[in-house]
Amino acid sequence: MDPMTFSIIRHRLFRIIDEAVITLKHVSGSAITNEGHDLMVSLYRADGSLLMGGVGFLHHLTSAAEACKSIIRRFEGRIREGDVFLLNDPYTAALHTSDIYLVAPIHFEGELIAWSACFVHVYDIGAMNPGGFSPQSADIFTEGFSSPGIRIVDQGEMVQDVVDTLLNMVRSPEMVMLDLRSMIACNNVARERMQALAAKYGAKTVDAAGSELIAQSETLLRARLKELPDGSWQSRQYLDVNGETATVRLTMTKSGDRLVFDFTGSSEQSRHAINCTKWASLGGLFAPLFPLLCYDITWNEGVIRPVEMVAPEGAIVNCTRPAPVSVATVAAIQSVNNAACATIGKMLAASDRYREQATSVWHANHFAIFKFGRNQKGGQSIGIFTETFAGAGGARSFADGVDIGGEIPNPISRMANVETVEANFPIRYLFRRRMKDSGGPGLWRGGSGGELAVVPHKAPDGGIHYVISGKGDRHPMSDGLAGGFPGAPNKYAWAKARNGGDVEAADTADGDAVSWGVFPLMGKDALYVRWNGGGGYGDPLDRDPERVAADVAGDLVSVEAARDIYGVILGPDGELDVPATQDLRAISRAARLERVVQ
Amino acid sequence: MSPPRSISPTLVLSAGKTACRACGHELAPVEASWKDVAVLDERPLGEGGGPMFRTDGGVLLRRFYCPSCGTTLDTETALPGEPFLVDRVDWS
Repeated sequence: MDPMTFSIIRHRLFRIIDEAVITLKHVSGSAITNEGHDLMVSLYRADGSLLMGGVGFLHHLTSAAEACKSIIRRFEGRIREGDVFLLNDPYTAALHTSDIYLVAPIHFEGELIAWSACFVHVYDIGAMNPGGFSPQSADIFTEGFSSPGIRIVDQGEMVQDVVDTLLNMVRSPEMVMLDLRSMIACNNVARERMQALAAKYGAKTVDAAGSELIAQSETLLRARLKELPDGSWQSRQYLDVNGETATVRLTMTKSGDRLVFDFTGSSEQSRHAINCTKWASLGGLFAPLFPLLCYDITWNEGVIRPVEMVAPEGAIVNCTRPAPVSVATVAAIQSVNNAACATIGKMLAASDRYREQATSVWHANHFAIFKFGRNQKGGQSIGIFTETFAGAGGARSFADGVDIGGEIPNPISRMANVETVEANFPIRYLFRRRMKDSGGPGLWRGGSGGELAVVPHKAPDGGIHYVISGKGDRHPMSDGLAGGFPGAPNKYAWAKARNGGDVEAADTADGDAVSWGVFPLMGKDALYVRWNGGGGYGDPLDRDPERVAADVAGDLVSVEAARDIYGVILGPDGELDVPATQDLRAISRAARLERVVQ
Repeated sequence: MSPPRSISPTLVLSAGKTACRACGHELAPVEASWKDVAVLDERPLGEGGGPMFRTDGGVLLRRFYCPSCGTTLDTETALPGEPFLVDRVDWS
């Protein structure tokens, strides 16, 4: 194929996804989609293999490929132009039931030429807890509607009885219908643009370009792997739930042009909904792999081929039905993602050539808190605190992590404005800001996480309730790199009003710990949430003291941490005391050598 | 003379041994665990990281120092009794 045509088709595929994402957002009325960007759109070849991975949550790229393949198997001989299929069963391909895949065949002149697939976290899925994350579920049967594949649009016509059946099982069916319509519209745009591409260049040419693109990605990734050192790197992630701790263990081995991710030794599947299925784990390890190793390589099936995953059946990373998985995306999947980010980061950091591509672990611990109840307009609202997507960047070998800097698995994640939340829920923010001392200390500091506190406001029922799947307040999860510290862990507190008075904003962090289940936010009580910082890079004693002083001035690092961790002494006005800093650092280093050698 | 082969940002390969990149101190044969001969500073996370890191999770912050120059070679978090994480670069 001539290179001009190849490049044009490649870029057109990118643009088709971009346009489909815009469509999805324009039609959706859900904050988690529009404000949090908890979405994904990608294109797949006729056999269901990944053709062009899109933006959004990247751990869906491979799972949606399996969703396409599963639909192809289930509906063999019955797939027609204009069909749209729904799949959200985690044991078939999905990550959890509330992340619904709508996959649609793309035909041209009667032939199946490709698939488009997208997901959003739907407003509700009918689990025992509102919003989809269902920490009180003990099995998949209480995690809401779950389908291994069902046709919801038949040759362009909505299969209304099927859709009505789904809507009959969820809260706020009008919002779930809007979610479905946004995804149908998204797939329609993808289909029409792919058909236009085929009309212009010919279906065979487009398919040949896709095949060449996949071969190119495989060649480029294998070449990159060959340039990296052989070896093996380990990571472990602790997941705490209600006082119980599970562990995800990873050994990543790189040999020649192959990568193996081995999760042997991870905990057995949990009775809590923190487990994930094998497809979810595969997606979880690819989420950091795409941006960290393939930042200049097209994300498609060619990237998948050099990679192998070992995940023992019955483990928390490959659970067996009917284990509950509704919290998976912020639990085992995220831990797989973190562990893979850590090992890939170590491998890159081991290479003098690729060290600048290495990163400490970014925002490693989502807090899934869904507010629900009657709002100030009299309607029912369900919605996540999108601050969970705000994140914090991991430090790199040449720069600090970005404060409130997002996360690795979703390059477009973000949070809603405070005013948007307050307009839709009967709550008021006491504050939302960067969290001092949350970024992992290091030569380069991890990005700061944040903190917020909310109280009920103009709530017709005196307040609302919330579902919290809040792990990560016992163990830090954003690992440091090359001597950097981890980012500080999360915290969740219920500050109770005493004697009818308001809770002081400054006291909210001292409330009672909450982490798992359904809780009230009523009267004058407050909910406090702190989210983790990114991991640091390098020895904190090597950090430029001027940078530490600037961090203190910017309220990102405390005077105490500057002294005790960074060995930096500041004067009463925040000015750097150079001699005292040099003395303290010399003393700190000497003290290290006085410790007992094992 | 070619530059030393890299094992990590803080470690290099030197004559078949893992060595501190900062001072060149040879820690252990490359096939052995260098962490076993580094200076281990293991303490509760809240003590090592400050108030923001205080939890009831019992997690430890491990820092591995070069016994010659005191540079931090690596860190890891662990529950008590956990084996060290093993990272290995194969330059053979």
